[in-house]
Amino acid sequence: MDMIAPLAKTGVISASLNLWLAVPIGFIFGFALFHAGFTDSRRIAWAFYFKDVGVPVVMFSAIATGMLGLWGLSLIGFLDVSMVYMLPTFLVPMAVGGLIFGVGMVIGGYCPGTAAASIMTGKIDAMVFIVGFLLGSLIFGDFFPVWGDFYNSDYMGAFRLDQWLGIGLGPMVLIVVLIAVGGTLSMRFVQNKVWPSTEIDPQHKQVVKLQGALIAIAVLIGFAFAFFPSESFIDDRVETPYYIVPKATVDPGSGA
Amino acid sequence: MKFATRWPPVPAGILIGISMLLAFVVAGRGIGASGAMTRFVAWVQHGLFPATTEQSAYFGRYFADGAHPLNDYVVFLMVGLLAGSFVAAWLSGELRLEVLRGPRCSVAYRLVLALAGGVLAGFAARLARGCTSGQGLVGGAELSVGAWVFLMCIFAGGWMAAWFVRKQWI
Repeated sequence: MDMIAPLAKTGVISASLNLWLAVPIGFIFGFALFHAGFTDSRRIAWAFYFKDVGVPVVMFSAIATGMLGLWGLSLIGFLDVSMVYMLPTFLVPMAVGGLIFGVGMVIGGYCPGTAAASIMTGKIDAMVFIVGFLLGSLIFGDFFPVWGDFYNSDYMGAFRLDQWLGIGLGPMVLIVVLIAVGGTLSMRFVQNKVWPSTEIDPQHKQVVKLQGALIAIAVLIGFAFAFFPSESFIDDRVETPYYIVPKATVDPGSGA
Repeated sequence: MKFATRWPPVPAGILIGISMLLAFVVAGRGIGASGAMTRFVAWVQHGLFPATTEQSAYFGRYFADGAHPLNDYVVFLMVGLLAGSFVAAWLSGELRLEVLRGPRCSVAYRLVLALAGGVLAGFAARLARGCTSGQGLVGGAELSVGAWVFLMCIFAGGWMAAWFVRKQWI
């Protein structure tokens, strides 16, 4: 069965065209970051005080969209996921990286994508953040021998949540959608408790209706996915050719 | 108009998700922002210290077989990202030179913290092999265990540190 996508991997488009197509894809990304309000460091930081939980809601929505699209296109036989680069897990380095990153985010008010987008809107604090970010990347690279072993430790391959929990991929997608919806609603609840809104938004009703409809569609697709076995989404017997370290060298018993 | 400038979070997130999905379908990989930054510093350092950078255990791979570090997918994405946010801000009339901060925060305090936060985030993004978008969103969609742990830890770290810098924001 020949699948069309990923276009650059199946030979539909050339490598150089693929590079140039990254520009419009990045354009959509940057355009959406602005309209999500992510070029404002205060909005990003306020998420950590529950003053404005828009940031996690945007992230949940983006993940749910990408996830339903990725696995849905695989299910209908359009996208060959064995050709899609799956991010490998290095559990402890990623956990430690996440903690430091979160501290950096609430102190600095940005993450790299949002800061880059924000620079283009003229925000000086974003420019300073990026200078720091470049400096931090440089320190990591130049002193790599100091933490290189830790960086490469705890390798688990492209290890998915459904494999970790021992359930099917379809039900896992549904669970993630439900977590996204539950997380959104509970964070909104906390925000309204801690920082009750004083201004009345005249478009509030329309916004609730629109978002409610979009969320309902995502939940319905998630429920449909749950009926399919993992094999209809991905063939786990085929090792993805993009592993940085071959899967075979990882002892599955070592776990976390 | 307020509504046009700031979209509700769900449709805005869906559009970010669509850009990610396009990258999956076209390139067979995800989107990201920090990779372009790393390649940029490697390129700058290479201009100053070519031999050291090429032999660097971390940056050396960007120069393998005479490659140019900026001739990479993530850099093209970044060019588009910069253009996209510029056009969006321009159309919304939001292009303004300013320092964003909370009502009780001075400009100097904000900029010092922006720099410090940037250094921490820059280091952490390398350690975690990606940032919020490249590791968090893309890995989240791919159901990667590491990406979900990374996302949870971002919020854990942010909440732990939030109290100490509250004067900056609220």
